[in-house]
Amino acid sequence: MTPPPASPVRSARLEERRRRWRDPTLALRLALVAAFAMVPLVPSFQAMDLALKIALFATLVASYDVVIGYTGIVSFGHAMFFGFGAYAVALALGRFGAPDYGHLALGFAAGILVSAAVAVAIGTFSLRVKALFFAMITLAFAEFALILAVQWSQVTGGEDGLSPTLPGVFAVTYAGRVLGVAVTGRLVTYYAVLAACVALFLVMRRFVQSPLGRTLQAIRDNELRAEALGFRTFVFQILASSFGSVVASVLGGCYALWVRYVNPESTLGIPIMLDVLLMVIIGGIGTLYGGIIGAAFLLTARTLLPDLRGLGAALFPGSEIFQRLADRWLLYFGVLFILVVFFFPKGVLGTVRERLARRGAPGEV
Amino acid sequence: MTDLLEVEDVHTYIGQHHILQGVSLRIRPDAVTVLLGRNGAGKTTTMRTIMGVLHPRRGAVRFDGRPIHALPPFAVARLGIGYVPEGQGIFATLTVEENLRVATLADSAESRERLRRIVELFPDLDRFRHARAGTLSGGQKQMLSIARAFVNPTRLLLIDEPSKGLAPIVVEHLVEALRAMKRHSTVVLVEQNFAMASALADEYYLIDDGRTVHAGAMAALVADHALKRKYLGL
Amino acid sequence: MSRRAPLLVTLVAFLLPLLWIEPRTYLTLTVAGLAMGMLIFLVASGLTLIFGLMDVLNFAHGALFSWGAYAGFTAAVLLNQRWGWAAAPSVAANVSLLVIALAAAAAVTVGLGILVERVIVRPVYGQHLFQILITLGATIVLEELIRIVWGPNDQVVPVPATFQGSWDIADIVVLKIPVLAIVLGAAVYAGMLGLLNRTRVGLIVRAGVENNEMVQVMGHNIYRYFTGVFAAGSALAGAGGLMWALFSQSVRPAMGGEQLIFAFIVVIIGGLGSVTGSLVGALLVGLSYNYVAFLVPKAAIGVTMGLMVLILLFRPAGLYGAAR
Repeated sequence: MTPPPASPVRSARLEERRRRWRDPTLALRLALVAAFAMVPLVPSFQAMDLALKIALFATLVASYDVVIGYTGIVSFGHAMFFGFGAYAVALALGRFGAPDYGHLALGFAAGILVSAAVAVAIGTFSLRVKALFFAMITLAFAEFALILAVQWSQVTGGEDGLSPTLPGVFAVTYAGRVLGVAVTGRLVTYYAVLAACVALFLVMRRFVQSPLGRTLQAIRDNELRAEALGFRTFVFQILASSFGSVVASVLGGCYALWVRYVNPESTLGIPIMLDVLLMVIIGGIGTLYGGIIGAAFLLTARTLLPDLRGLGAALFPGSEIFQRLADRWLLYFGVLFILVVFFFPKGVLGTVRERLARRGAPGEV
Repeated sequence: MTDLLEVEDVHTYIGQHHILQGVSLRIRPDAVTVLLGRNGAGKTTTMRTIMGVLHPRRGAVRFDGRPIHALPPFAVARLGIGYVPEGQGIFATLTVEENLRVATLADSAESRERLRRIVELFPDLDRFRHARAGTLSGGQKQMLSIARAFVNPTRLLLIDEPSKGLAPIVVEHLVEALRAMKRHSTVVLVEQNFAMASALADEYYLIDDGRTVHAGAMAALVADHALKRKYLGL
Repeated sequence: MSRRAPLLVTLVAFLLPLLWIEPRTYLTLTVAGLAMGMLIFLVASGLTLIFGLMDVLNFAHGALFSWGAYAGFTAAVLLNQRWGWAAAPSVAANVSLLVIALAAAAAVTVGLGILVERVIVRPVYGQHLFQILITLGATIVLEELIRIVWGPNDQVVPVPATFQGSWDIADIVVLKIPVLAIVLGAAVYAGMLGLLNRTRVGLIVRAGVENNEMVQVMGHNIYRYFTGVFAAGSALAGAGGLMWALFSQSVRPAMGGEQLIFAFIVVIIGGLGSVTGSLVGALLVGLSYNYVAFLVPKAAIGVTMGLMVLILLFRPAGLYGAAR
């Protein structure tokens, strides 16, 4: 007996689900996670540090992409939420006596609540205006958060920041070897944070592919039309913005756990925001996974920079002009920014996807 | 008789959305042509493509035989095409007089004469010349918008839904004014109000789903109930 | 709320601190506050027109502020080294130095502004996100270039002798540079209003701020106006930068970025596209900052933010902004 014909929406969903498991890129993604998981086997702390930072920032960029790429809201406050999470965890672990898991949970929860509340507040009275206006308002808030962190030194430690101590299993100094790798608190933290990143990534993917996520994309593409179709765009935008900020906050907490040092410059300031922007542009807006490429590229380049400079100094010894030019690496950063925006506005992943789409290849990346 | 405006198989995209999927029009000079169709069929997009605000990915738009689809809007305007958009597009913070001044491209005796004739047709514009345009009534705003389009020598006038939001008696006045303008310029009209369209138009084009699906003399359409029901829900 | 409300608010902000500060200090603070406000106005006025007309979030404005300061500073230093026009007590020499420095600042920033608009902004016109990113990139590049050309350290600006020091009017200390800033700011405001309201160019700009698509459809090459407004805004930012350099007697590569956030807040408070709005906003910010900095130093920046939030609650589009 033949089954009744499925409605167009249902058949689209079934088709997508089928595609997902046969997807060649699924293997790619699993391999990626496996690669990250195996990094600790390399006996270099620098490698672990770089890998985890890439994972953290890739996820942060993805959360920013949800707001900017999928919902179409231009905001400069994202780094601020990252900072909130970092400070919340750092404070919870430092200010209430000997830290334990309860404090850790409290820190994360506090960070999430504050970020969500601030995102909703800012959204409520700013999303109704022109997009540019909103962008400026978020910038003003981010600056303010930074200044607050610096000035409120009794609580936040001012410019010197906070150095939290980690609770329980995260602080273990040595507990034997597994597969030749020393099991330390660091190792545990590594896997915990990596797991968190992967989990958050999956959550974001689910979010973006859900009906809610699709509605947001519709709003991004044509707000008037979405409103005409009956969606209260405003509410959706606030939801998306809060979601993004909550994820950023959790990541901030993870950052605090790994780096064990939180100060305004490294977690709240413009540098982080610029980094995220550059990463999302290089990787590709609206691609979620683009963040991985962007983060990998930027962070690796940064780590290798001193080595490059050393190489340059060895090649051109005593050259003063070279020194001056080399010192101004930020200049090249800026030029790179501009060039990427001009020539690769879709970012690496975006351009790749577009090429594939034109050739008619199946499956999503 | 050569066409004043020719739109040939135009495909226009807004972002990724394929809005116009093959619109073709031929506009005769000195006639009023109306574009009809449901909401979202692509009528306004067609107007904006002709005006140069949007550029087609495929197809061509020719005015007096010369291609204009790659020109920016101000160049299209200077060729003698006037545009009265949906929602009037008047500058609310400027006065009525200033609105008209923005429209004036060349200060000459000719343009001043034209302005005088327009004010004759729409006496309210003179009375409220120093009022901020935002304080005018809906009908007055529409008159101002049309007047602005006529300040310069206009050979082709594109008007998008002039009767929208206006009271019936105001619409009547509008129809009279447009009838008077018919004599001075070719008009392409987008209008949902079928009565108004049939009172003014000589020819029609039916646009559905971004395509031209039917065309002909207005009188024929008025009598064709099947067609009206199918595409206009009338 | 009526249109007079913003002025009432300003008046209240103006007079309220008298409750806590004694009159003489109050006057000194007021002059400082007005001066600071005027300097921010110079930057914000160009910014708000650029936003209003072109829908461009111009981050590069801060860098132009810095470049104007450095250009004027270089001119001043050269003139002072050659002919001692700053150190000399001659009013003629001092004023000439100021005028030339201002001209240098304006000329350099107009040139840079045109370059930035044509090369950086115009290609991405219409795509908000990319505009923001690209002007950010341009800012970084411009700021780094300053560091390369002039070095990364703070440098002292030679203030012409006539403008140094203060007047003593009935026991009230009134510094000279702030007064100069106020006079300059007022002149610029008057000039801008005149230009906007009485000239044809100003008319088109005002119409364009409201609806730039419509202006194009009516036959005007809006791109020329874009370049013009961008260049004028840049010149104003540059002049503001130089005045700030004189005010604080130093130049630093990052000075533009620091002032830019104030300018943004003022544009938000005043409303996009309104020159009067940016004046009122700037004066509010300048005054409130100075009064509060005197009473409760740590809360100064908070007041500016608080002011912004408060105004947005009642007027989401700014004091003089149009709801869109």
